[in-house]
Amino acid sequence: MTYEKQMKNNINNKMMSIVKHPYFGFFLIAALMLFVQLLRIAGVDVPIQTLRAFGKTMIYIIVGLGFSILLGYGGLASLGTAGFVGLGAYILGYFTNQLGLSIFMIILISIVFAIILGTIIGFISLRIEGMYLAIITLAIAQIINEVFKNWISFSNGVDGMIVNNRFVLFNQYVVLDQNLVFSVIAVILFLVMIVTYNIMKSPTGRALLAMRNSSSAAQAMGISIFKFRLLAFIVSTVYAIFAGVLYLSYIPSTFPGDWTLSLSLLILAAVIVGGSRSIYGIVMGTFLIFGLDLALLQNRDNFGGFFVENPEITIMFNGILIILVIMFYRGGLIRLMNTLIAKVKGIYSKLNKKWREYRYGTDIK
Amino acid sequence: MGEFILDFGIASAVLFVAYNVFKVFFLKYFKNKGKVKGRAINIVVALLIIYTFVIIYQTAKDNYGDRALAYMLLQLINQIPNIATLALATTAIVLIYKTSTTTNFAQSMMATFGAYFAAKTIQYTGARYEWGQTTTVVVALLAGALVAFLLGIFIDSVIIRYSKDKSPVGKQMITMGLVIILTGLMPILFGTNSPTNPLNIPRLFPANDQIPLTFLNTWGIIEMELSMTRHAVYIMLFAIILLALLFSLLRFTKWGLGVRATASNERVASMMGVNTKLITALSWGIAGFLGGVAAIIKAPSSIGPALMVSTQVNGFVAAVLGSFTSFAGPLIASILIPPLQGLLVTLVGAWNFAVVYAIILAFVLIKPEGLFGKKVDKKV
Repeated sequence: MTYEKQMKNNINNKMMSIVKHPYFGFFLIAALMLFVQLLRIAGVDVPIQTLRAFGKTMIYIIVGLGFSILLGYGGLASLGTAGFVGLGAYILGYFTNQLGLSIFMIILISIVFAIILGTIIGFISLRIEGMYLAIITLAIAQIINEVFKNWISFSNGVDGMIVNNRFVLFNQYVVLDQNLVFSVIAVILFLVMIVTYNIMKSPTGRALLAMRNSSSAAQAMGISIFKFRLLAFIVSTVYAIFAGVLYLSYIPSTFPGDWTLSLSLLILAAVIVGGSRSIYGIVMGTFLIFGLDLALLQNRDNFGGFFVENPEITIMFNGILIILVIMFYRGGLIRLMNTLIAKVKGIYSKLNKKWREYRYGTDIK
Repeated sequence: MGEFILDFGIASAVLFVAYNVFKVFFLKYFKNKGKVKGRAINIVVALLIIYTFVIIYQTAKDNYGDRALAYMLLQLINQIPNIATLALATTAIVLIYKTSTTTNFAQSMMATFGAYFAAKTIQYTGARYEWGQTTTVVVALLAGALVAFLLGIFIDSVIIRYSKDKSPVGKQMITMGLVIILTGLMPILFGTNSPTNPLNIPRLFPANDQIPLTFLNTWGIIEMELSMTRHAVYIMLFAIILLALLFSLLRFTKWGLGVRATASNERVASMMGVNTKLITALSWGIAGFLGGVAAIIKAPSSIGPALMVSTQVNGFVAAVLGSFTSFAGPLIASILIPPLQGLLVTLVGAWNFAVVYAIILAFVLIKPEGLFGKKVDKKV
């Protein structure tokens, strides 16, 4: 065996090639989630609220990833997100309660819905650009919310909708209870992250970035605005509606009041605070805005119930974070993280050098 | 007489269509072909409007027989407070758009802040709308609007002034962040609405204090007797006076000239000696004031952070419909939208909001520059 071959087969190198793989981080995030659930199943005292919060946060991460393709890559501000997530939830509720379709069928239907809706909004965005787009998407979200409120036979109105039967897979062998859905969401999150990573690093992502910086210049370089803007909207809508389907299969009740402007704004906050162009950034942002609030602060046992009685403080904190990030620190948490990592690495290499100088003398090469 | 007015309206609309058809042919065969599309759009829109009104009238006639016109008028009269609220809110949004080039999503929250303050003052003084205490209520309301004014100036001088160089979408995000901050801040400062902490804004006058609209009968428009609450009348007058004042300020004062100069080009305006900082701050303040008044005259209402959200959405839609580039367009659009929503109740019931938004969306899709906007050419 030659030296090179030996080095190649070195266990350390093999490990490094796995760790350095771009998907490894995504895998870690999903595995961590599954690990928390495993702890609970194994009997460690993890509050059920924390687990539910993590489940919700993962769903919002999926929404945020779609939104980042729209906002961070396409430069298109949309306020319709909450409406789309709600639509996904209601589609699941309607088709399982009224028609009793299987989950795969419903996912297929919801994706078709999402593609149609995304195409419509994409077309609208071709006509109405820039600042007006946020307003128009807000109006669309309002229309969707009116549908939830008024179309009683579809959505059961303001009384809300409850999914009464759990889904079964593979001929009754697997029943999707809440714990299993949690695991499924974790796996799906992993897959969605991979898909998003590939969209972002592909020519599509670069075309979207070019479009974001200047649509006219991008057009002059031969990028079809029509195609990519439509694509951005379709991707983000599919993510949002799919997340809605996951939401209702995890938390089996939905009300029109859940899907208002405030949720859209919080998702926007998560994406911006985390860093609108980075997957890890969005994960961190969503955990900061949703996860921290749902898992820790909304728990009555923590901080003497202070944040349960004053939920406004966390809301205010989110708003302040958005403004601070936009005004002074474009790039958000992920930039902070990268700066910190670079600093730590710098200090480590400095110390290492000093140690070598001390150990071996200065003139060693 | 009533029938005559309706016929007159339809006839004039038909004439408008005929004029446009003539123009299309004229332009097509003799002149510039490029303008044909705009005319064709005008025709389609006018036909749609006529069709909608005829359908609404027919439905009302089916339901109410001879009293259909009176019913429609009643719907319009009921919408007057909404029109006043919406007109003020929309003007505020456009004012900020003109000076700061951003669509202010925090407008509703600034307005609600004023309403909260007014409600807190009313709670503190214990005033109600019984006769004799109207003055106290009015003073409280003006105090609320003034607080909204100060909040507007504060927001501009602390945040907006320093975000001039941000992209339009970035500025929008900042105003969305403001929405979240104010949503959290207001319950902390003023408490939530509860029996021990009642945050209500009363009517200026009791609901049974009605003014009969006798002129409708004496002019022979309808036979039925209609009346309007004194509250609505005063609100309408107040809104008209306020808007007239604002528009004359914009037209005739140095501040108005400054606003128009800043709107056309902020950098050049500041080079020419216009104090753009002061003008922007004042615009934010005045927008806050208008919004505060709008939130307060939305009474009777119990105050919560979501008080003005629907008005805000309506205001944005009106501003898009009327085009952000002019002051008059959004105002006209905001006068049109509430009556349309009121009239559509006969036709579609609770779906009126959704239908109106869908109609406006379709219209804006056909004509992105809005009702009265000019098309702006883009430069690379």
